[in-house]
Amino acid sequence: MSAIDITIVNRGSELARVADLLDRLGAEHHLAPEVLADMQVALDEVVTNITEYAYTDNAEHKIHICFRVLDNVLEAVIEDDGAPFNPLAIPGPDISKPLRERRVGGVGIHFVRSLMDEVAYDRAGERNRLVLRKRFKT
Amino acid sequence: MDLLEEKVGGVTVVAVKGRIDSTTAPALGERLTASLAAPKVHVVLDLSRLEYISSAGFRILLLAAKRADETGSRFVLCGVSGKVRQLFDLGGFLDLFTIVGSREEGIAAAQ
Repeated sequence: MSAIDITIVNRGSELARVADLLDRLGAEHHLAPEVLADMQVALDEVVTNITEYAYTDNAEHKIHICFRVLDNVLEAVIEDDGAPFNPLAIPGPDISKPLRERRVGGVGIHFVRSLMDEVAYDRAGERNRLVLRKRFKT
Repeated sequence: MDLLEEKVGGVTVVAVKGRIDSTTAPALGERLTASLAAPKVHVVLDLSRLEYISSAGFRILLLAAKRADETGSRFVLCGVSGKVRQLFDLGGFLDLFTIVGSREEGIAAAQ
Protein backbone atom coordinates (compact mmCIF):
# COMPACT_ATOMS: atom_id res chain seq x y z
CA MET A 1 0.00 0.00 0.00
CA SER A 2 1.14 3.50 -0.61
CA ALA A 3 -0.36 6.79 0.47
CA ILE A 4 0.32 10.38 -0.42
CA ASP A 5 -1.47 13.50 0.67
CA ILE A 6 -1.80 17.13 -0.31
CA THR A 7 -3.34 20.18 1.31
CA ILE A 8 -4.71 22.89 -0.94
CA VAL A 9 -6.61 26.10 -0.31
CA ASN A 10 -10.10 26.85 -1.61
CA ARG A 11 -9.09 28.37 -4.92
CA GLY A 12 -9.88 26.87 -8.32
CA SER A 13 -6.30 27.33 -9.44
CA GLU A 14 -5.18 24.74 -6.87
CA LEU A 15 -6.76 21.90 -8.83
CA ALA A 16 -3.83 21.62 -11.20
CA ARG A 17 -1.62 20.60 -8.25
CA VAL A 18 -4.03 17.85 -7.30
CA ALA A 19 -4.18 16.57 -10.90
CA ASP A 20 -0.37 16.57 -11.12
CA LEU A 21 -0.04 14.61 -7.90
CA LEU A 22 -2.57 12.04 -9.05
CA ASP A 23 -0.73 11.71 -12.38
CA ARG A 24 2.51 11.04 -10.54
CA LEU A 25 0.87 8.44 -8.32
CA GLY A 26 -0.69 6.79 -11.36
CA ALA A 27 2.63 6.62 -13.19
CA GLU A 28 4.36 5.18 -10.14
CA HIS A 29 1.78 2.41 -9.84
CA HIS A 30 1.26 1.89 -13.59
CA LEU A 31 -2.44 2.59 -13.27
CA ALA A 32 -4.48 2.33 -16.49
CA PRO A 33 -5.29 5.68 -18.16
CA GLU A 34 -9.04 4.97 -17.85
CA VAL A 35 -8.77 4.47 -14.09
CA LEU A 36 -6.79 7.67 -13.70
CA ALA A 37 -9.15 9.61 -15.98
CA ASP A 38 -12.18 8.54 -13.92
CA MET A 39 -10.52 9.63 -10.69
CA GLN A 40 -9.32 12.91 -12.24
CA VAL A 41 -12.84 13.76 -13.39
CA ALA A 42 -14.37 12.82 -10.03
CA LEU A 43 -11.81 14.92 -8.13
CA ASP A 44 -12.32 17.87 -10.46
CA GLU A 45 -16.04 17.76 -9.71
CA VAL A 46 -15.66 17.32 -5.95
CA VAL A 47 -12.99 19.98 -5.41
CA THR A 48 -14.76 22.45 -7.71
CA ASN A 49 -17.93 21.97 -5.71
CA ILE A 50 -16.08 22.67 -2.49
CA THR A 51 -14.26 25.78 -3.74
CA GLU A 52 -17.41 27.20 -5.35
CA TYR A 53 -20.13 26.34 -2.85
CA ALA A 54 -18.79 25.19 0.51
CA TYR A 55 -17.77 28.57 1.90
CA THR A 56 -19.80 31.69 2.45
CA ASP A 57 -16.96 33.78 3.87
CA ASN A 58 -13.99 35.15 1.96
CA ALA A 59 -11.41 33.50 4.17
CA GLU A 60 -8.86 30.99 3.02
CA HIS A 61 -9.75 27.42 3.90
CA LYS A 62 -7.72 24.26 3.70
CA ILE A 63 -8.86 21.20 1.80
CA HIS A 64 -7.02 18.00 2.53
CA ILE A 65 -6.81 15.13 0.05
CA CYS A 66 -5.23 11.77 0.71
CA PHE A 67 -4.66 9.21 -2.06
CA ARG A 68 -4.04 5.56 -1.38
CA VAL A 69 -3.30 2.74 -3.75
CA LEU A 70 -4.43 -0.53 -2.23
CA ASP A 71 -4.34 -4.00 -3.81
CA ASN A 72 -6.87 -3.24 -6.52
CA VAL A 73 -8.35 0.07 -5.41
CA LEU A 74 -7.39 3.67 -5.98
CA GLU A 75 -8.82 5.72 -3.13
CA ALA A 76 -9.12 9.45 -2.52
CA VAL A 77 -10.29 10.94 0.78
CA ILE A 78 -11.28 14.60 0.55
CA GLU A 79 -11.80 16.61 3.75
CA ASP A 80 -12.99 20.18 4.04
CA ASP A 81 -14.39 22.45 6.74
CA GLY A 82 -17.12 23.94 4.57
CA ALA A 83 -20.89 23.79 4.94
CA PRO A 84 -22.25 20.26 5.38
CA PHE A 85 -22.71 18.75 1.94
CA ASN A 86 -23.54 15.15 1.16
CA PRO A 87 -23.23 14.58 -2.60
CA LEU A 88 -25.00 11.23 -2.20
CA ALA A 89 -28.16 13.03 -1.11
CA ILE A 90 -28.46 15.09 -4.31
CA PRO A 91 -30.94 13.83 -6.93
CA GLY A 92 -29.53 12.93 -10.34
CA PRO A 93 -29.78 15.39 -13.25
CA ASP A 94 -32.71 15.37 -15.63
CA ILE A 95 -30.80 14.39 -18.75
CA SER A 96 -33.94 14.31 -20.88
CA LYS A 97 -34.41 18.08 -20.91
CA PRO A 98 -33.64 19.96 -24.12
CA LEU A 99 -30.41 21.88 -24.53
CA ARG A 100 -31.63 25.31 -23.58
CA GLU A 101 -33.24 24.14 -20.38
CA ARG A 102 -30.37 22.01 -19.22
CA ARG A 103 -28.38 22.83 -16.16
CA VAL A 104 -24.97 21.26 -15.97
CA GLY A 105 -25.02 21.68 -12.22
CA GLY A 106 -26.09 18.18 -11.24
CA VAL A 107 -23.98 16.46 -13.87
CA GLY A 108 -20.74 16.77 -11.92
CA ILE A 109 -22.08 14.84 -8.97
CA HIS A 110 -23.68 12.35 -11.35
CA PHE A 111 -20.22 11.80 -12.86
CA VAL A 112 -18.71 11.21 -9.44
CA ARG A 113 -21.31 8.62 -8.52
CA SER A 114 -21.21 6.89 -11.91
CA LEU A 115 -17.45 6.80 -12.43
CA MET A 116 -16.53 5.65 -8.93
CA ASP A 117 -17.18 2.15 -7.62
CA GLU A 118 -17.76 3.44 -4.12
CA VAL A 119 -18.57 6.85 -2.66
CA ALA A 120 -18.97 7.38 1.07
CA TYR A 121 -19.72 10.55 2.96
CA ASP A 122 -19.63 11.47 6.59
CA ARG A 123 -19.69 14.65 8.59
CA ALA A 124 -17.23 14.48 11.45
CA GLY A 125 -17.44 17.50 13.75
CA GLU A 126 -17.05 20.54 11.53
CA ARG A 127 -15.65 18.61 8.59
CA ASN A 128 -17.02 16.95 5.46
CA ARG A 129 -15.24 13.73 4.63
CA LEU A 130 -15.80 12.15 1.22
CA VAL A 131 -14.23 8.84 0.24
CA LEU A 132 -13.95 7.92 -3.45
CA ARG A 133 -12.88 4.45 -4.49
CA LYS A 134 -12.08 3.20 -7.97
CA ARG A 135 -11.31 -0.48 -8.47
CA PHE A 136 -8.83 -1.67 -11.06
CA LYS A 137 -7.46 -4.97 -12.27
CA THR A 138 -3.90 -5.79 -11.38
CA MET B 1 -4.55 21.19 -22.67
CA ASP B 2 -3.31 22.39 -26.06
CA LEU B 3 -5.51 24.00 -28.67
CA LEU B 4 -4.60 23.93 -32.33
CA GLU B 5 -6.67 26.08 -34.66
CA GLU B 6 -6.75 25.73 -38.42
CA LYS B 7 -8.81 27.19 -41.23
CA VAL B 8 -9.97 24.66 -43.79
CA GLY B 9 -11.85 26.49 -46.50
CA GLY B 10 -14.48 28.47 -44.64
CA VAL B 11 -14.39 26.18 -41.60
CA THR B 12 -12.50 26.82 -38.37
CA VAL B 13 -11.19 23.55 -36.94
CA VAL B 14 -10.13 23.63 -33.29
CA ALA B 15 -8.32 20.49 -32.15
CA VAL B 16 -8.05 19.83 -28.42
CA LYS B 17 -5.19 17.80 -26.98
CA GLY B 18 -5.04 16.75 -23.35
CA ARG B 19 -7.75 17.43 -20.77
CA ILE B 20 -10.70 19.72 -20.38
CA ASP B 21 -11.23 20.21 -16.67
CA SER B 22 -12.01 23.15 -14.41
CA THR B 23 -8.42 24.39 -14.82
CA THR B 24 -8.35 24.34 -18.62
CA ALA B 25 -12.02 24.93 -19.51
CA PRO B 26 -11.79 28.77 -19.35
CA ALA B 27 -9.10 28.83 -22.09
CA LEU B 28 -11.27 26.64 -24.32
CA GLY B 29 -14.22 28.91 -23.59
CA GLU B 30 -12.26 31.99 -24.68
CA ARG B 31 -11.18 30.28 -27.88
CA LEU B 32 -14.68 29.12 -28.79
CA THR B 33 -16.19 32.50 -27.95
CA ALA B 34 -13.70 34.09 -30.33
CA SER B 35 -14.34 31.50 -33.04
CA LEU B 36 -18.11 31.92 -32.75
CA ALA B 37 -18.07 35.71 -32.35
CA ALA B 38 -19.31 36.44 -35.89
CA PRO B 39 -22.71 35.13 -37.06
CA LYS B 40 -23.08 32.28 -39.57
CA VAL B 41 -19.62 30.82 -39.05
CA HIS B 42 -18.62 27.15 -39.21
CA VAL B 43 -16.65 25.63 -36.36
CA VAL B 44 -15.50 22.04 -35.87
CA LEU B 45 -14.14 20.93 -32.51
CA ASP B 46 -11.88 17.91 -32.95
CA LEU B 47 -11.83 15.88 -29.72
CA SER B 48 -9.90 12.87 -31.02
CA ARG B 49 -6.90 13.64 -28.82
CA LEU B 50 -8.90 14.60 -25.74
CA GLU B 51 -8.16 12.43 -22.69
CA TYR B 52 -11.17 13.39 -20.59
CA ILE B 53 -13.65 16.17 -19.96
CA SER B 54 -15.31 17.17 -16.70
CA SER B 55 -18.60 19.04 -16.20
CA ALA B 56 -16.72 22.35 -16.34
CA GLY B 57 -15.83 21.45 -19.92
CA PHE B 58 -19.36 20.40 -20.83
CA ARG B 59 -20.63 23.74 -19.56
CA ILE B 60 -18.32 25.46 -22.08
CA LEU B 61 -19.41 23.18 -24.93
CA LEU B 62 -23.10 23.76 -24.17
CA LEU B 63 -22.57 27.53 -24.14
CA ALA B 64 -20.80 27.31 -27.51
CA ALA B 65 -23.63 25.21 -29.00
CA LYS B 66 -26.20 27.66 -27.68
CA ARG B 67 -24.26 30.60 -29.08
CA ALA B 68 -24.02 28.86 -32.49
CA ASP B 69 -27.76 28.19 -32.43
CA GLU B 70 -28.53 31.82 -31.72
CA THR B 71 -26.26 33.24 -34.41
CA GLY B 72 -27.04 30.84 -37.25
CA SER B 73 -23.61 29.24 -36.96
CA ARG B 74 -22.64 25.58 -37.20
CA PHE B 75 -20.81 23.97 -34.29
CA VAL B 76 -19.84 20.35 -34.92
CA LEU B 77 -17.91 17.92 -32.76
CA CYS B 78 -15.80 15.07 -34.13
CA GLY B 79 -13.49 12.38 -32.77
CA VAL B 80 -15.70 11.63 -29.75
CA SER B 81 -14.56 8.14 -28.75
CA GLY B 82 -13.46 5.94 -25.86
CA LYS B 83 -13.47 7.55 -22.42
CA VAL B 84 -14.65 10.88 -23.81
CA ARG B 85 -17.65 9.25 -25.51
CA GLN B 86 -18.48 7.47 -22.25
CA LEU B 87 -18.55 10.82 -20.44
CA PHE B 88 -20.79 12.36 -23.12
CA ASP B 89 -23.10 9.37 -22.75
CA LEU B 90 -23.14 9.47 -18.92
CA GLY B 91 -24.06 13.14 -18.91
CA GLY B 92 -26.76 12.69 -21.57
CA PHE B 93 -24.84 15.01 -23.90
CA LEU B 94 -24.63 12.85 -27.04
CA ASP B 95 -27.96 14.10 -28.40
CA LEU B 96 -27.32 17.74 -27.56
CA PHE B 97 -24.54 18.24 -30.09
CA THR B 98 -23.96 17.55 -33.75
CA ILE B 99 -21.38 14.77 -33.50
CA VAL B 100 -19.70 13.13 -36.46
CA GLY B 101 -16.89 10.58 -36.74
CA SER B 102 -13.87 12.07 -38.43
CA ARG B 103 -12.43 15.52 -38.84
CA GLU B 104 -13.21 15.35 -42.59
CA GLU B 105 -16.83 14.50 -41.85
CA GLY B 106 -16.85 17.35 -39.37
CA ILE B 107 -15.65 19.81 -41.96
CA ALA B 108 -18.25 18.51 -44.44
CA ALA B 109 -21.02 18.70 -41.80
CA ALA B 110 -20.12 22.24 -40.78
CA GLN B 111 -20.39 23.56 -44.33
